[in-house]
This record gives sequence, structure tokens and C-alpha cells, in this order.
Amino acid sequence: MTPDMQVDAMVVGGGIAGMQAALDLADQGYQVALVEREASIGGTMISLSKVFPTLDCCSCITTPKMSAVAHHENIQLLTYTNVTGIHQNGNGYVADVTVKPRYIDEALCTGCRQCEYACPVDFPNPFDANLGAVRGIRIPFSTAVPQMPVLDIENCLVCGKCLNVCPVDAIDLTQVPEQRQIQAESIVLATGFSTTPMDAKAEYGGGQYPNVISGLVMERLLAPTGPYGHVLRPSDGKEPASIAYVQCAGSRDETLGVPYCSRICCMYAIKQAMLLSGALPMADITIYYMDIRTFGKGYEQFYQNARAMGVEFVKGKVASIHEDEDHNPTVRVENMDGEPQIVEREHDLVVLSVGMIPRYDPHLIYDVAVATDGFVTTPSANISPCETTRPGVFVAGSAAGPMDIVDSIVMAGAAAAEAAAYIEAQHTMAPVAVGLEAVHA
Amino acid sequence: MPEKDQIKKPQTDSPEEPVKVGVYTCYCGGNISDTVQCEAVAQQLKGLSNVMVSRTNMSMCSDAGQAIIEADIREHGLNRIVIGACAPSLHEKTFRKTVERAGLNPYLYQHVGIREQDSWVHHNQDHATEKAVRLMSAGIAKARLLDPLAPIELRAEKQALVIGGGVAGLRAAYDIARRGLKVALIEKEPFLGGRMAQLETVFPTGRPAREELDGLLSRVTTHPNISIYLQTELVEVKGYVGDFQIMLRQRSRGVAEGFAHTKAAIAACPVEVPDEFNFGRTTRKAIYQRYDGCYPSTPAIDWEHCTRCGECLKVSEQGINLEDNYVDVALQVGAIVVATGFRPYEPRHGEFGYGEFAEVVTLPELIRLMALQEEGQPLTVNNRPVRNAVLVHCVGSRQIDGIHEPQDDGLVNEYCSRVCCTATLHVANELRTRFPTLNVFDLYEDIRTYGRGHEEEYRHAGEQMVRFLRFDPEEMPEVVAAPEDDTSPLLVRVTDHLTWEEQLEIPADLVVLAVGMMPNPISDLIELLKVAQGTDRFLLEVHPKLRPVETAVPGVVLAGTAQGPMNIQESCAAAEAAAAKVAGLLGQGLVELEPFKALVNPDRCDGSGECAQVCAYEDAITIETMLVDGHEVRRAVVTPANCAGCGACVAVCPNRAIDIQGWTLDQYEAMVDAIAADIPGRMVEPVLEGAPA
Repeated sequence: MTPDMQVDAMVVGGGIAGMQAALDLADQGYQVALVEREASIGGTMISLSKVFPTLDCCSCITTPKMSAVAHHENIQLLTYTNVTGIHQNGNGYVADVTVKPRYIDEALCTGCRQCEYACPVDFPNPFDANLGAVRGIRIPFSTAVPQMPVLDIENCLVCGKCLNVCPVDAIDLTQVPEQRQIQAESIVLATGFSTTPMDAKAEYGGGQYPNVISGLVMERLLAPTGPYGHVLRPSDGKEPASIAYVQCAGSRDETLGVPYCSRICCMYAIKQAMLLSGALPMADITIYYMDIRTFGKGYEQFYQNARAMGVEFVKGKVASIHEDEDHNPTVRVENMDGEPQIVEREHDLVVLSVGMIPRYDPHLIYDVAVATDGFVTTPSANISPCETTRPGVFVAGSAAGPMDIVDSIVMAGAAAAEAAAYIEAQHTMAPVAVGLEAVHA
Repeated sequence: MPEKDQIKKPQTDSPEEPVKVGVYTCYCGGNISDTVQCEAVAQQLKGLSNVMVSRTNMSMCSDAGQAIIEADIREHGLNRIVIGACAPSLHEKTFRKTVERAGLNPYLYQHVGIREQDSWVHHNQDHATEKAVRLMSAGIAKARLLDPLAPIELRAEKQALVIGGGVAGLRAAYDIARRGLKVALIEKEPFLGGRMAQLETVFPTGRPAREELDGLLSRVTTHPNISIYLQTELVEVKGYVGDFQIMLRQRSRGVAEGFAHTKAAIAACPVEVPDEFNFGRTTRKAIYQRYDGCYPSTPAIDWEHCTRCGECLKVSEQGINLEDNYVDVALQVGAIVVATGFRPYEPRHGEFGYGEFAEVVTLPELIRLMALQEEGQPLTVNNRPVRNAVLVHCVGSRQIDGIHEPQDDGLVNEYCSRVCCTATLHVANELRTRFPTLNVFDLYEDIRTYGRGHEEEYRHAGEQMVRFLRFDPEEMPEVVAAPEDDTSPLLVRVTDHLTWEEQLEIPADLVVLAVGMMPNPISDLIELLKVAQGTDRFLLEVHPKLRPVETAVPGVVLAGTAQGPMNIQESCAAAEAAAAKVAGLLGQGLVELEPFKALVNPDRCDGSGECAQVCAYEDAITIETMLVDGHEVRRAVVTPANCAGCGACVAVCPNRAIDIQGWTLDQYEAMVDAIAADIPGRMVEPVLEGAPA
């Protein structure tokens, strides 16, 4: 079988790390295939509000990079595409990918959104943490790249309204998954992270309390494109007057199998506290913490600013949360400052600073080693932080462990340097005897 | 006029084409629209002459936002675009690409900063909105007068300079070289390896630092594309990205490569000086190697301490030359990587007893002490076996103005040094493992074991019975002399917040200060390269997310701890990212410079030469004699590649004969007029700060 696409490097994952790695490779003149399983690139980052420590709106950083990826002459973008397997091919690789059906003819669609406006189906919007609603056929979010709708076949009534309104007859309900092969000299894994599930900790309500939410949900509440346009608590739409952050609510916790620090939660909680001080100037904000880990460039000053702004920092690990009949959550905590005492404090809204866990097990597609924490193993962690156990396969961003955006972007640049050097080495070496046929025989 | 004076002017399709301006006001996801009424701004601007389209968007820089602009250009035949958004440093280039995609010359685009200059610095919505209207009107006024320009394309030298032979510099040099580019790696010391060579085992791999470093060193020192210059400093930089003409000054080593009598020559040297590699805990000779197995193995003469006694020459006349001199090396490089590293914070005399008591040492000093300690023997400090060691975190980091004494420059180190928590715990674990009877007390504010494998060090320290005590930065621990009859020489007083402010006194035989990182003193280099420092004194990147390893000077990039505290892993990642940037910049052999350069109008120039006198850039403006209509005249001539576009020449020209392309005096005047113009239907009366109500 001849591959459908031959590139120098394939980047798996179109979040900030994957996009940056692809751009850094493409800017050096290499041909790159960027494969993203969602319908738009942008990753977790595009759903955030503002980002620390500069407090730029997240779109200001992400969307131009998304646009640059889409328009770069050396990048071929495959969205809504799963990598199903990677095989070694000499010193390079061949990847099997499945392009999922959007039920849209991409060559015809103009992105006019008439289909979306006509669709009668509303269901919870996964992009908005299921708080807002979204149509059965839609462009995933306003700044999505590509600006191409996707029809959610699970939620489709097959009523045909979209077919009727589409001015260019681009909707095609007969589409089926398409198998393709990509041949690449080098691979960059940038499969990102997920968060510890809300139901993981029964002590914190096991995900059953409506006014105990995760940090990522708060990101959507704070985002200008968010579901309510305001910060409102989910149970009754009330503007919260007292908001608490529970730090390490899914990290540094052996009972969850997440003994490590998730590295980003201190800064995102402090950042959200600052944004909340702007959005709800009268609200009291408390952060319950074990250690404040504001270690990055400008981060400590950011933390001190939050203290000066009146955000309350309470040293103490929250033992449990319970709620009353009005869904007001109360946290129980041993206060480490002042007299020894166990206190219970009621808040209107509690945000759990959930931890980072791997989003994806690369074993599913290739036997590159992962460590006991589930993230990709980097055997030369100090000198070659992007190297995996496989030559030519590199890792970038939070696929290699919890990492913030700044560090992910730098690591993506490093992965691009490694991949480029590997590709150069292949080009200067004698052709490898093993052919594609042999691999798939 | 000579050719080099000319900036190539792209031709527009028809020069007579009427000006059609498209104006876009960005919400910036609330950053602007929370303060500036963007819809009102767009509405007001609609009425200005030449404005064909005036729109708003949640984020103009998104692909969807850019698509609107492209569509408008095509549909309405727009030939000038003005966008009010964030600072131009963020997205001016993004939007230039947008208009270029739609077929317009990218310099027919005008960016107006209404975030940093407006919404972020004002609270009053009406005032901020009016200011946005005025700034945008000025942008439109300038846009009307914009001419198409073309960037200057220059051949790029396929060689980079890497400054610093520590782990970051080595990593960057290797990665640039692997991409087929040449590298000149310079190190001011006689040996490579930097601070990493002074470490023993390193987290998170647990491997010996030298073993990890040696792997990289051997790759660097054997790579055919890398030239290493030791004892070398950068003394001169001219030119610009793609073509920096640099001068290196290399001091003589005194000992020839391959010198065969190293051990005997060192033994013969009668001079003994404190060995800085071991922080003065040991001595070395005036002819020395940095450590066993250092690179290069050829020893070097320490010119500051060598007495020229000639004892080493008695060992071998061959291969030793006691003449201390310099050679200058001129090179052309396309890019410069700054990897000048850090130095450990040096505590003030008396800070936690440092300098007063021999038992108070810094963490880097302890690491050398432990390396020198014989295996199987108890740890001894000041000739006394150590029973209690007290480690103090955040010394020289997370300092608070008003509590901590400032440095010489009047600043305190407000930042976290990032590395010290895990490094301290790593050493605490090593202390407990190597000296099982030794008690370790760890005094901290917050334990910041953030990275992969770091928390394990913390957990392990707890399992190893390291005792943790938490202090408040406003009540710092005190180190005092113990009473005469005490078993330990020192007492450490601390208020422990883990036990509800219990006052504790710990008898200590050793106090270890986990000192933070400060940038190496490189003020000469900062001046030479014209790079910026942040308020933390580390070198400043353009933007931590958009361009994290680039400086504001094109072609000068950062690697490692010159930019801020980083551990080895982070330094290597940054160095590789810097290498990727250099490869992207120089790999094609061409670089582009902005066309914002001075241009002389020869009809107005009378050759007075005032411009050339004020110009701070070498060979940017010269006064040349030329023939005009058979007459010999003197005229100013600009070499665009050397011109920085600063405009000093424009200000002094008595004839208004010189202008900066893209920023002409006519354009400035139009902007000033627009800013000062009456706004029809303005919303508020002007308020003068401090004026009586």
C-alpha cells in the first residue's frame, strides 16, 4: 500500500504544544502533518479564559497560532482524525489514521453556518463544560479551525433541515470513516492532558454537588465566550458572593493514584481568583492550599499581587465538603495558622483544583514506553527532555507530565529541534532497505 | 543615486486608486470591550472619510476574525486596513500576513494599540471609549498616507554564535550544529561544563551530573560544525540578524593542547590558591585542571595568580608558554544565542550567620563538601562531626521589599528560584542515606516540588525522617551562636507554623542555605547586544508564550538560566527551542528585515551632514559626493541594512529631506491632527487631571 501522504514529521495532537511543534518544524522548511482527533485544533488551551502570568486572553495567544497552522504552506492539517497505529518503517514511521466523517463535503462547505441555524436539536455543549447548549450540526466553537461544521450523528434526528438550507449541498449523510496512511521520518507526540474526574473523591461530594465545580468549568464561566456571560453558580444561577478554591483536589493524593504535583493548579487558581475579583468585585475569595507553588518566571510576583488584592490564602488541606438543602457547600479544614482548630466554612461556590492526568495512552498506537504516572517516559529527562524510548519519536507538552502553557511551548520548540535533527540524520544516511511492503506483509 | 540607497518600492496596480480603508475594533475577548465600548467606536469611525467598512469582533486575530478582513478586502476592494487591538508587538505581524493573503501589500496595514494603551490603563468607560476613537482616528489618518513597502531580504550567514559553555550553551550548540549550521561556541572560562559540572547526582534521573554532562560534551566537542573558543569573550558586535560581524577576544591558555606532563607540571607549581570549583574549600595550583576528567584535559594557567616562577617550565619546556596575551578573532554569524547562565545568590555577611560562622554554608558549597567527603566517614564541618543539619529554603529568593535587605542595585529578589526546593530535598535525602545518624531539619515557606519526579524527592524525605518546619517570611529563622557548654556550635530559632507557631531552638552543627539563582553579571554583553533585562535582572524574552526564547533584538535568542531560574531539564529544553529558532532563521540562508529605514529625498538634501553626525549606527548614513546634472554635489546616502530606523536623522535634518519609511513626518502630522480633532457627537467633556471640579 502506498501512503497517502509523505511528510518529514507527523505531529499527533493539535493543542498548544502540537501546534507549536508543527510551526517550529514547518518554519525550518520541513513538511509536517498535524493530526488532531477533535473537529478543531486548539486543544484545552482554546477553552480557557485568560492565561497567567500575563493575563492575555487565551484567544490572543491561541487563535493566531491556530491560524498560522492552517495557513502554513508546509503544514497539512488533519482534524477529526484518529491515529490508529504507528509502524516502524526503516528508520522512519508509517501511521494509520482514520478520518472520521463530518458528514460535510469539505470541498464544498463555505462555513456559512446556515445548517447550524436550521438544526432543531439542542444538546449540552461539551466545549462549555455541558453548561450551554449546542446544535446537532455546528462549527465546534466560534474560533474553530477549520471553520467547518461537524454533524453529531449520535444526536442527529435525520430531519433533513440542514440538507434543505445548505446553499452548496455540502451535507452528505452517507460519509463513512476514511482510512489513510501517513509516512513520516519522525513523530512528535503532543497528546496533552486530562483532569482527574470530579467523582474521584467522595469526600468532596463525588461530583454530585452542583456548586462544587472544577477549575476548567470556572474557566468557561470566566471566558467572554462562556455559557452565561457571567460567573453564576450552576444550581440556581445566583451570583456567588463567596468562592473557595480547594487546592490539590486531585494531585499529591495517593488515594487517587496521583501522587505527583500537577504543577499548574496553584497558578490557575490564583489567576481565577484575580479574574473573579474583577468580575465579582464584592465576592470573598479563599484559596485552601498545602503549598503555594508559584515557581515560574513572574509567578511569585503574581501570587504576591493576589495577596495584596485581598485574596485569602488558608494553609490547610480540605478534609471534606458537604452541602445544605440549598446546595451551599461547606468545607471542613484544619486551619494551620493561629490557634489549632478545625473549622467549617460555608461558601456559595467551591472550585476544585483538579489535577492533570494523561489524556491518552500512546500504547494504543505504538509501544513507546509510559512511566508509572501514565505519562510518556523520557529516559534522558535532563539532557534530552523530549526523547522517548523510541528513536525518532519525541514528546512535547503535557503528554510528558503536567506542564503549563509556557513550559509546553518551550518543550514543543525542543521537540521540533530533536525531530529536525533526526530527519536531517535520515536524509544524510543511506536509504534503508526495509520497505513499506515488508512492514505490512 | 547609488543603488544601496534605494528601498525597493513595490508597485501598486494603479497608483491613482482611491483610498479605501477597512477599520476593525477588537473586543480582545473582553480585555478591550470590558472598558471600551467597541460598538460605539466602530460606529463613530464609520463616519470618517475613506472608511468603507468598520466592524468589531470578539477576537480579530482568530482565524474567523482574519477571514472577515480577507473577505472585506476582496469584496470591497479595501486597500488600507486599520485594526485596533492589543499592542503591535503581539499581533502586528499576524495581521500583516492576513492582508497579504488577501493580495494587499502587508505594509498598507496599520495597527493601533487600544489594549495596553487604553483599556488596560483606564477605568472610566466613556473616557476609554473616546480615547480609543482618537487613537483609531489617528491610525486611519496615518493609513491614508501609507505606501506599499517591501521587506529587505539579505543573505544570512549560516553560522551562529553561542555564548556560554554550560549545559544550555552546549545543548544549543549541538542542536544548531546537527541542523547543518556552523557554530562558534565561546566560554569565558578555560573549561566547559559550567555549573552543572559542580553537581553530584541530579534529580529527577538520580544519575551523576558529570555522566550526563559528559555525554553531551563528547557530542559537542567531536561535532565537525562546532568550533570551541575557551577563555573567550565577545568584545564587539556590528550588523544585524543574518550578518552580525563580531569580534572575539581569546586569552592565551599558556599550555598547548596535547601537553604530556600535566600531572608533573601541576605538582611542580608552588602557588596555591583557593579553588573556586570547590568554593574555596580546597586549593589548587596556578596551573590547573578544573576537575578530574574536565574538558579540555589540557590544563590552563591562572594568569591572576601565576608568579612566572618557571617551575612548570622545568618539568617541560615544550608546551608551556608563560606569556599572557590575547588574540582577536573576527567572525560573521547570522544569529547569537545567549547562554550565560546564573550564579548562586551570595548571602550577605551575617545573613543566617553566613560569613560569621564556619558552620553556615550554601547548598552549592555543601554539594562540593559532600563530594570531597571520604566515603564511610561521618560528615565533618569545621573539624566537627555533624549530628544536626538545618536546611533553610528561599535564601535570596521570594524576598519581600521592606523585610529583606536589597541588593546593591536597590532591588530585592522577589522571584522564586524554582530549582532550590527539589535540589535541597535531593541533598537532604543524600545526607540521610550517606550519613544515617545525621538528623536533617528542613525549614521552608512552601515546598515547591512541582516537576515530574520532584514530589517523590519530597515524599522520600518524609520517609527518611527529614523533619520539616514551616516558617513565615515575616518571621525569618535566626542563626545564633550556642552557649559555650552546648553540644552544637549553633542554635537555629524558628517559629514553626506546622505546629501552630511553636517556638523551637534547634542545636545545629551545620546550617545549609538553599540559595537562589541570580543572573551572571553580563552588563557588558547586555550593552553590546542591546538586549533588555526584566525587573528581576534576568534577560527578557519578547513574550513568554508567543516568542519565549527570542529577545526584542532580531537574531538574538536566549537559552537557559540567563533568562530566569531553570533546572537542567528546563535549560536543555529552552536551549533546544532556541536552536530551533536559529535553524528556522538561518536554515534557508536568507533573512528578512523590516523596511522601516531612513530614505533620503535627494532633491531636498543639501549634504549638510547633520544626519550622519547624529546617527548612532555605523555605516548607516554617509555623505557622498555625486554628480547631479553635471554638477558635483554632496548628498546623504543610507545603507538600509545598517539603519535601525530610529529617526534621529529625521529630527535634525534642516531641510526635511529624510524620512523613515512607514513612519514619515507627514504621517505623524496627520496622526497628531486626527488625535486633536473635534470628534462629532463626543460623549464626554474632557477632564484635566487635578483640575478643580
